[in-house]
Amino acid sequence: MAKGVLSSVIHFYDHRYKQLLVLPVLLLLFSLAVLGSHYLKTGEFIEKGVSLKGGTTLSIAHPADIVELKSFLEGKFPNIDLNVRSLSVAGKDVGVIVEASDVKAKVLLSAIEEKIGVLDKNQYTLDTTGPSLGKLFFKQAIMAVIVAFVLISLVVYAYFRLFLPSFYAVFSVFADMLFAMAMFDLFGMKLTTAGVAAFLMLIGYSIDTDILLTTRVLKRTDGTVGERMASTIPTGLTMTFAAMITVLVAYFATESELLKQIMFILWWGLIADIIFTWTFNAALLRWYLENKEIKKEHNGN
Amino acid sequence: MEIKKLILKFRVIMLGIFLLLSLLAINPHPFNEGASIRSVDFNSSASLAGIVTPKPTSTPISKEIVIAVNGVEIKTVEDYFVEIEKLTIDEPVSIKTTKGVYNLISKERNGKLDLGLKVVEAPKTNIRKGLDLQGGTRIILQPQEAISDDDLEILLLNMNERLNVFGLSDVSVKPTNDLEGNKFIVVEVAGGNEQEVIDLLSKQGKFEAKIGNTSVFKGGQDITYVCRSADCAGLSPYRASQQNLETEWASTFQFSIALSPSAAQRMADATKPLQVVGQYLSQPISLYLDDQLVDQLQIGSDLRGRVVSDISISGPGLGRTKPESQLTALSNMKRLQTILITGSLPVKLDIVKIDTISPVLGKNFVSSTIRMMLLAILAVSIVIFIRYRNPAIAIPIMITSLSEVVIILGVAALIGWNIDIASIAGILVAVGTGVDDQIVITDESSSHRNKETSWIKKMKNAFFIIFAAYFAGVASMIPLMFAGAGLLKGFALTSIIGITIGVFITRPAFAAVAEQLHKEE
Repeated sequence: MAKGVLSSVIHFYDHRYKQLLVLPVLLLLFSLAVLGSHYLKTGEFIEKGVSLKGGTTLSIAHPADIVELKSFLEGKFPNIDLNVRSLSVAGKDVGVIVEASDVKAKVLLSAIEEKIGVLDKNQYTLDTTGPSLGKLFFKQAIMAVIVAFVLISLVVYAYFRLFLPSFYAVFSVFADMLFAMAMFDLFGMKLTTAGVAAFLMLIGYSIDTDILLTTRVLKRTDGTVGERMASTIPTGLTMTFAAMITVLVAYFATESELLKQIMFILWWGLIADIIFTWTFNAALLRWYLENKEIKKEHNGN
Repeated sequence: MEIKKLILKFRVIMLGIFLLLSLLAINPHPFNEGASIRSVDFNSSASLAGIVTPKPTSTPISKEIVIAVNGVEIKTVEDYFVEIEKLTIDEPVSIKTTKGVYNLISKERNGKLDLGLKVVEAPKTNIRKGLDLQGGTRIILQPQEAISDDDLEILLLNMNERLNVFGLSDVSVKPTNDLEGNKFIVVEVAGGNEQEVIDLLSKQGKFEAKIGNTSVFKGGQDITYVCRSADCAGLSPYRASQQNLETEWASTFQFSIALSPSAAQRMADATKPLQVVGQYLSQPISLYLDDQLVDQLQIGSDLRGRVVSDISISGPGLGRTKPESQLTALSNMKRLQTILITGSLPVKLDIVKIDTISPVLGKNFVSSTIRMMLLAILAVSIVIFIRYRNPAIAIPIMITSLSEVVIILGVAALIGWNIDIASIAGILVAVGTGVDDQIVITDESSSHRNKETSWIKKMKNAFFIIFAAYFAGVASMIPLMFAGAGLLKGFALTSIIGITIGVFITRPAFAAVAEQLHKEE
């Protein structure tokens, strides 16, 4: 880090750290507002795809006009939840993806064949999830996220043996996840089973930088707290940038819709991670140490 | 950097050994050609000639590969089918494989020439591709009521026996459960005969014969023998195929079975009170499968009150044409025979998920994934290079990341784990956290920081963070191993294996590199 930048960062961490909380708090409010309004509109915090609510996903390796196909299918099945997207590989349309609930897979397939011609069995991938399994999976995915948070909290607490710093680290990760969920909603995406995996992946990824920060600040004694924090930033940012570049490359290089969704969630989660680790977690840690100092002085007197 | 000193370090040697073992497990054969035998159908030309289905545990590379048909070299699966197309029925065929030469007589099965071999492109490594990369069908079944572990075991044994009796070998049936203790059965079919498998496995197979309301015999213990040979099983000689509608034909199958003495006695008791109406008795015998009527047979008047143990079972097959209806009848017969031999499943099953995956869509996925991984590692190396401006750091990070991928794939090949899309995501996680850890090691060991701190102390600091991140990473993946019928188990397991390999094998080796750099500084 350039010397000028470094000293102003140290200055911020040492003297104006409370101001650092403004941005993450705004971001947190933004995430909550997006998720809340989505909940009010749809009754769900995040829109579930057919693999989580039951239904059929049909990926066809046969290019078709998606607008035409969609209106044709809507005319045929007026009361179903339907989504038609193009399937693209490296920016080229190679086929279509049709997602639908409340219609039998075979009926849907023959309706599509009516429009685009009979398909060879090798030309399509059909994924049908019964509503009971979809619901069960979603319920358990939420349980998995909760259990993951509990386990991570235990690991972090076992490491630092301090309640508040452990809580700040875990809460930062939680906030990263909320932001990724909010962006997911804003982009109108639908959660698949792979998306659930991505949120858990995000927990693992974003706790790294928080553990790094907390360790350097609490377990070291060299320099001032601000100096220790500022000197951790290059390490943490390199870690996050390395992860982000992987995510970006994977997003554009993969042909898999599943991997694309995973990368999308990770991307926004990692962006949030930069903010929540280096402003939110850092500022709260600074505040915590300040209070501890004051208490110490108070007890000393 | 003094490479010689570095490669003599224990931790680097360990990495080398693991890399070597992984390569041995992966066993790359980049120039493998031919059509690899995935399975051999029961009673087919190929099985009669002595070709056997590879064991499910055998590694992909060890499987027998067809390299010539009638002296014509086979390089791909297409070549194989081109040669098979040229054959005519009842003709001698010579099949040369990597294990020997077999002489077959081509036979007709299900209306077309079929040697009974299911083949796939010859594998180039021992890495098994998951269903979403090679195409196939995955069916998840859930028992309709809670069942005990013992019943589940009986269920699985019965399902596997049905597959064996039916002659399907490339089907995997595995139990799985979820966080709430619900039990599921995951059936994976690599070939294209998923409808047969669904019909065969999802049916409870409760077979019952009734006269009026009296049950006379049931599938399982009441039936001591089921005939499957051509002289007592096939299309019915008494009921010819007939056209019901303009586009519907019906044919009838028939096969004989032997009843146990007690079932034969029950049959005699049930026919005794019936009246003789012409040639037949006043009530037919009705055959039910899973409570649905399959067929009704008139009972000859001479059978009234007699204890007969050999009786004939029949049922229909429908189709748009006469041959199609005959084929359906024969396939229905085969299924019913299988169910009668193996008995019914202890519970009814619901199909909760069916995925049919096109092999075409996954075809280019493997090469694009390899490209994606290499590009990602390259991009990360660029970020590292920009940060440290030192190829002596960026290159080892790149090599460590690549070694991690190789070792994960090696472990997968060794334990027979299928690499599917979710596992690829898992590998990316492992490599990603690996890079994070290497950055921590590099920064902690940097001589610009804490000049007075000893090397060991610096590494302690680095590994303190690395282990905290490792435990947190594993903690976040454990619940996923058990969530929702194990749909994301592949992802969770690969991530856990990957980050574990990273922490215990590749990270210490990278620390050795960092130590060497540190000394040279």
